[in-house]
Amino acid sequence: MKYPVIYRLGRFIPHMVLLALVLVFWEVAVARSWVNAFMVPRPTAVFDSFIRLYVTEQTIYRHFAITMTEAVFGFAIGASVGISLAVASAVNETFRRYVSPYAIVLNVTPGLALTPIIIAWFGFGIGSKIALAAVISFFPIFVNTLSGLTNSDPDRNELFRSLGANASQRFWKLQVPSALPITFAGLKIGMTTALIGAVVAEFAQATEGVGVLMQRFSFQLNMASSVAVLLTMSIMGVTLYYAMELLDDRLIFWRKDSGMARVGRRRSARVRALKAGSVVKA
Amino acid sequence: MNAMSNANARSGAHTQQQGDIVIKGEGVGKTFGNGSVVALEGADFEIKRGEFVSLVGPSGCGKSTLLRMVAGLIERSSGKLAVHGDTVKGPRSDVGLMFQRATLLEWRTALDNVLLPTELSRKLTSADYDHAEELLAMVGLQDFTFTFPSQLSGGMQQRVALARLLKTGADILLLDEPFGALDEFTREHLNLELMRIVADVGATTLFVTHNIGEAIFLADKVMVMTPRPGRLARIVDVPFERPRTAELQLTPEFNALVAEVRAVLGDH
Ligand SMILES: Nc1ncnc2c1ncn2[C@@H]1O[C@H](COP(=O)(O)OP(=O)(O)O)[C@@H](O)[C@H]1O
Ligand SMILES: [Mg+2]
Repeated sequence: MKYPVIYRLGRFIPHMVLLALVLVFWEVAVARSWVNAFMVPRPTAVFDSFIRLYVTEQTIYRHFAITMTEAVFGFAIGASVGISLAVASAVNETFRRYVSPYAIVLNVTPGLALTPIIIAWFGFGIGSKIALAAVISFFPIFVNTLSGLTNSDPDRNELFRSLGANASQRFWKLQVPSALPITFAGLKIGMTTALIGAVVAEFAQATEGVGVLMQRFSFQLNMASSVAVLLTMSIMGVTLYYAMELLDDRLIFWRKDSGMARVGRRRSARVRALKAGSVVKA
Repeated sequence: MNAMSNANARSGAHTQQQGDIVIKGEGVGKTFGNGSVVALEGADFEIKRGEFVSLVGPSGCGKSTLLRMVAGLIERSSGKLAVHGDTVKGPRSDVGLMFQRATLLEWRTALDNVLLPTELSRKLTSADYDHAEELLAMVGLQDFTFTFPSQLSGGMQQRVALARLLKTGADILLLDEPFGALDEFTREHLNLELMRIVADVGATTLFVTHNIGEAIFLADKVMVMTPRPGRLARIVDVPFERPRTAELQLTPEFNALVAEVRAVLGDH
């Protein structure tokens, strides 16, 4: 809330103007048949499809919810497994030696190529979508968390050593906070790849979800609706990404002055309360 | 190897000191890479309770290596080294360390950074909070208790690191070019404060620097080191009264001592 609303709106206006110009040019280009209206839908046609999907027929919501569920659950599984394996690898050298070759092989294997196998294993339902989302979101989360946990600053490691810290103190008070920023970078990437995994699995074999909807429209050569669904996927991606970003900002407060001010105030109140409490007791 | 080290019946400025030896090294040496790099040739030295000792020499002469051996962070390759009469085997709680980089935890307030050493050894009490705040006041940061490291200047960060060092309760303070990354004005100012503070708490101090004037100005005794291979070339007594003021550095006696140290270093 540093800048007045008017000022922030002001910075927004050039973007809106540019977008409007592009859309108008696009509309005109299609109307004048500079491009094939059949293959490239007009913005107004896309808008109409949007209204139909979201307002008049309201068909989108069920599919939206299904795909979001797949992506979020897949991400949750990928993140849990990724973080757990990274922690185990960071704590135990032997474990890392045995796990990291597989992680690397998994990384260089195009994850989406697993789609047919995963569908064979998990079936046509939501399970295979969640599984693919989990598999392809796992790697960025695992790698980032592991590198965050193991690459803490040597001077700080030495400080902890000279202060006689034990392994668990070093883990919780040094490695984890040091790893948080890069772990979150991994989580953000993982969140986006989970959505890709869910949609691609839907393309392969499914009855519900935005991927199915998209495929159905494009088979019907209903390009306007296809683009409307594509935009829906963008909305999903942005929503998921910003959810992570929000969490990121809360947790890694020390990157922003506002965060540090907030936590500093809270800490100050806590310490004052603690001291007042002990005076009463004494 | 070093006949000078024992020949000092000190007329130290720290009148309260009993003269007992808290750090004693005999032929302390360190090689790296299976003996291919000699970081420090056998060094003999004794440091008494409450003494302020500077370690001066060009970079690469083994100052940090010696300090880290005293801290118990690296093993020595040869010789004997004892702190408070015990052979050094690893880090110990009565020896505290401060680096050129403040190495503060940026997710902790200044207060919580100062509390870290205590937090790692036992449960905090409200007296610890009071003590940490006193230490922050001692280094002039009473108004920055709940400020985070990234919001502090380099000099202020080093002040926090100094308060944290004092919170360890260690009576032996090892400082490795603690203000080396700061501008000259800040450094001089912090040096004066450091002298006042260590005299206040009565700590034994080993201070690494590559600035000859600074080494002499702060110390009761200057250990002069020369490189290739790292060697403790000479131990020079500094006779000036305490408390000292910045003007001391303008006196002919002071400059004579600077010249003496420079001559030792100049031989190389
Ligand atoms: N871990 C190490 N491995 C190999 N050589 C080292 C290591 N640490 C220090 N040295 C070498 O030992 C010598 C002394 O280093 P150091 O004690 O850091 O010097 P100073 O602190 O006086 O600048 C240097 O030549 C340095 O390259
Ligand atoms: Mg050094």
